[in-house]
Amino acid sequence: MKSRRELILALGAVPILAACGGEAAAPAKAEPTKAPAAAAPTTAAAAPTKAPEPTKAPAAAAPTAAPAKVLKVGLVTDVGKVDDKSFNESAWNGAKKGAADVKGESKYVETQNPNDYKKNIQQFISEKYDIIVTVGFLLGEATIEAAKANPGIKFIGVDQFQEKAVENLAGLIFEEDKAGYMVGALAALYSKAGKVGAVLATDVVPPVWRFGEGFRAGAKASKPGVDIQIVYHSDVGPEKTFDDPEWGKATALSMIDKGVDVIFGAGGKTGNGALYGVADRKDKGVVAIGVDTDQWNTVPEAKAVLLSSGMKIIDQGVADIIKAVSENKFKGGNVLGKVGLAPFHDLDSKVDAAVKTKLEEIRKGLDGGTIKTDVKPAKG
Amino acid sequence: MTRGRFLFVLACIGALVAAVETLRSPDVSAAVVAASMLATTLRFATPLTLGALAGMFCERSGVANIAIEGMMLSAAFGAFIVAAMTRSLAAGVVAGMVVGATMALLHAWLSVTLRVDQIVSGTVINIMAAGVTGFLSTEVVRRKAIEGAGLLPAWRVPVLSDLPVVGPIFQQQPIAWATLALVIGAHFVLFRTVWGLRVRAVGELPRAAHAAGISVQQTRYAAVMVGGAIAGIGGAYFTLEAVPVFEPMMTNGRGFIALAALIFGGWTPAGAWVASLLFAAANALHINAQQFGIPVPSQIVGMFPYVLTIVILAGAIGRVTPPAAVGQPYVPD
Amino acid sequence: MPPERPGAVVRLDAVLVPVLAIATALALGGVILWAAGPRFEGSYLGIGFVAEAYLSLLEGAFGSRAAIVDTTLRTVPYVFSGLAVMLAFRGGLFNIGAEGQLTVGALAAAWAGFSLDLPAIIHLPVVLAAGCLAGAVWGGVAGLLKARTGAHEVITTIMLNYIGGQLASYLLNGPLRDRSPLNVIAQTPKIAEGARLPDLLPGLHAGVLLAGIVAMVTWFIVWKTTTGFELRMVGANADAAAYAGVNVVRRMTWALGVSGLLAGLAGAVQVAGVNYRSTLGFNIGYGFDSIAIALLGRNTVSGVVLSSVLFAALRTGATKLQFRTQVSADIISVIQALVLLLVAAEQIVRWLYRLRAADAVTQAPEDGATAAIPPSPAGGEG
Repeated sequence: MKSRRELILALGAVPILAACGGEAAAPAKAEPTKAPAAAAPTTAAAAPTKAPEPTKAPAAAAPTAAPAKVLKVGLVTDVGKVDDKSFNESAWNGAKKGAADVKGESKYVETQNPNDYKKNIQQFISEKYDIIVTVGFLLGEATIEAAKANPGIKFIGVDQFQEKAVENLAGLIFEEDKAGYMVGALAALYSKAGKVGAVLATDVVPPVWRFGEGFRAGAKASKPGVDIQIVYHSDVGPEKTFDDPEWGKATALSMIDKGVDVIFGAGGKTGNGALYGVADRKDKGVVAIGVDTDQWNTVPEAKAVLLSSGMKIIDQGVADIIKAVSENKFKGGNVLGKVGLAPFHDLDSKVDAAVKTKLEEIRKGLDGGTIKTDVKPAKG
Repeated sequence: MTRGRFLFVLACIGALVAAVETLRSPDVSAAVVAASMLATTLRFATPLTLGALAGMFCERSGVANIAIEGMMLSAAFGAFIVAAMTRSLAAGVVAGMVVGATMALLHAWLSVTLRVDQIVSGTVINIMAAGVTGFLSTEVVRRKAIEGAGLLPAWRVPVLSDLPVVGPIFQQQPIAWATLALVIGAHFVLFRTVWGLRVRAVGELPRAAHAAGISVQQTRYAAVMVGGAIAGIGGAYFTLEAVPVFEPMMTNGRGFIALAALIFGGWTPAGAWVASLLFAAANALHINAQQFGIPVPSQIVGMFPYVLTIVILAGAIGRVTPPAAVGQPYVPD
Repeated sequence: MPPERPGAVVRLDAVLVPVLAIATALALGGVILWAAGPRFEGSYLGIGFVAEAYLSLLEGAFGSRAAIVDTTLRTVPYVFSGLAVMLAFRGGLFNIGAEGQLTVGALAAAWAGFSLDLPAIIHLPVVLAAGCLAGAVWGGVAGLLKARTGAHEVITTIMLNYIGGQLASYLLNGPLRDRSPLNVIAQTPKIAEGARLPDLLPGLHAGVLLAGIVAMVTWFIVWKTTTGFELRMVGANADAAAYAGVNVVRRMTWALGVSGLLAGLAGAVQVAGVNYRSTLGFNIGYGFDSIAIALLGRNTVSGVVLSSVLFAALRTGATKLQFRTQVSADIISVIQALVLLLVAAEQIVRWLYRLRAADAVTQAPEDGATAAIPPSPAGGEG
């Protein structure tokens, strides 16, 4: 993907998980800035964080993974579709790419109802798939259950923190608070009006909460006194909070009315709605920041106003783990994926060199642990 | 809608604005906040009002309509796809109306001609709309990578929209303006024209209307389809005025809030509009309060329209009376 | 029951129309699948694609032991909520609020399951009873409003659905939330072991038996008791029932209350048998599905059970269909809507297949009756 190659900032893995997980071990070193991330796919974050398990060599134990056979990768989405321009899509791209890289094949099943998680995973199990990717933290429990019952199959749980490592399950997790922090810093430093805003899906979903509160922390720290407006979309029921672009747009406009000139939209289509709202007012000089992927590529309508995106590099993370499976290097436990800022694209010239330098310092600080976001893993 | 309830609603909206005023941070002027909140309210109220008007024409003629949601959703899709294919936003709006009216035609055919229970017919349309739009958005929009045609440009009221504070209120897009016109138009049509009288007659006393020489069935067909076309405009709002994309289930239950607004407003255009404004203002409050760091329990805001409607139905703030013949198929002798 | 001559004719008709409706809906669904599939690629017409889609649907629902268990598990809540809608229908009332009643039933059951400390022998009954009670209250409110103020139950139950959803969101993020540090989901803690429904077979909980018992009890109440008779009288003609001395108001409240109770039980059984907790969002879609089930089952107990199996099978098999064909599972909703359409407007089916029009009872009542009940043979299974 183009976006990945153009990555200018990539946060490496940082050992916050060692503190709470116990299983997560020493993280990889942070990558140098401007390193072409795509060129070093299995380094840094995507490398499993747990020590190698000598027992149960996967290929031997797995009844399905005979060496000559084509590797089959199945993906189960959270409620939503694989073209959501957001995390399901990113994970699916990763699964496709990962499978293609090892000359395997890939298929998806889109979940329509939370009651179907188990059944949809089971579908791939019964078809003897080698790797099953489940997307979203809500599938966590079903994924763990399936992994325990099927030791011969490798599972990748995107956004699923593993409390206890299951050896055939890798939880691909992200430090959204750090991505949010970077975005918040960028927003505060870029804002001429001294007012920044974030339009988010429900705070009940921890990754959304971490993005939002990271944003708050980052903005506050890099420009004390900046006005921070954060609005979560929690009043429509959890299954709809990500699918309400109209609300996202109206909320963004409401912020623009009050002089906010940088808006971070995070939360599926609701967040995309905020980007559309900003695009609607581009004559006022407001800019937007996207989420999850480099939305300059996925939301063409907002290209002209898109300053950057707070990215979780899900696709590469998934593809790397698939590659690790094919090379028999797969390990269970938590795998820390990369987060970072997307390129400034069209607005690159509008970002001062001083701001870029400051962002680089912040990135290093987050990487090295000298800057803490102080965001809890989840609300409440 | 009774005068008492009008005052009640106005007091509620006033209280909501006042709440934000008192909660806001000091560096934004009160007028800016109020103006912005009103602009947001108008925006949110647009699909609700259109949905409520759609339901009103239908129910006033004696045909219950719980399918506003389904009509709006399918129209949102139709408007999107036609606008994308023709690259004409106007064609998209027309398509939305046609799709809405077509769904309404199905509703009328089922419930007026075949005398299927009107709630069942509405349920059919809701399930069908969700399934068909979800299916087509995957199989057509995704497969063919169809891109939207953009958004209807805002129509600015000269001078007023350039005012510093209240400017945002006067920068609405065409459908928002059309909604205001439709409220007035619907009121006029319903209460000042012969056709409106006929619609009300077949909804209240179909037998008497029939005896007076009015074709109950034809009038109901017409009213239901007029309603469907209005719901179609409401659907087009989502994909041509709000955001330039179609997403499955993007109407997000607003058709049911519109139904609540219709009831709350006592089945009158002005009442439905005011009720829509009230429900929209609650949402605007939620957004604005959060912007100033005031946590308003979101579930309370979420419940607000429905609880108020139940309260109204329980007769606590003045009872509402539905059209007498709503829900009943008419069987000519 | 030994079929008597006239009854047999009615019953054949009662089965024929739904079966033809299902067949027609599947055929139309096949056309849609065909249009979405890879047709006209070389000499390939795409017929095989449609066949494969339906075969995978069938296989996904019944093709293995696991599939049959899954379909059965999904049938159970449908039976309860379908019976709920049916019972209200019989009383001339339209309970569109099964989803909300199921939601609060699940909440109450989960609460009773994790917060109370009771011996196993009474804990499970208490959990189920809590679900029933909450559902009954939720339905009863609509019934009471209907009886007292005439507020239409369709409107109130829709509103109560949304209120129930918001209430669940509040409780599951607040007072009832699982506070263990690693839980990040809006859900209750798991209920006590003793509060869970035991498994009959591995993976298949005893709720299946309960569904059978409740179905029979419902049948008995509706067709064999005075209460049931009054209920059906009110449903057939409220004015006549009142004239005959039935307390219509009380019967309506009762009907919606019991209807809510059954829907609440559906939620409780899901908690006690499948999820062992209440999670936000698991209730999606039950409301409309149960209406469709009651209608397809022509408001008879056996019909509801069979329709529940059909709907459960469609939902269960959808995954395999999607997997094999990579066509959106929304096709299932389209087929369900078509089934409902054709069952509700059975004139279409009769016209399509040139069936003789049935008796007058298949038409909705004339204006003047309180609610138009979809066609069902008078007397039903009695």
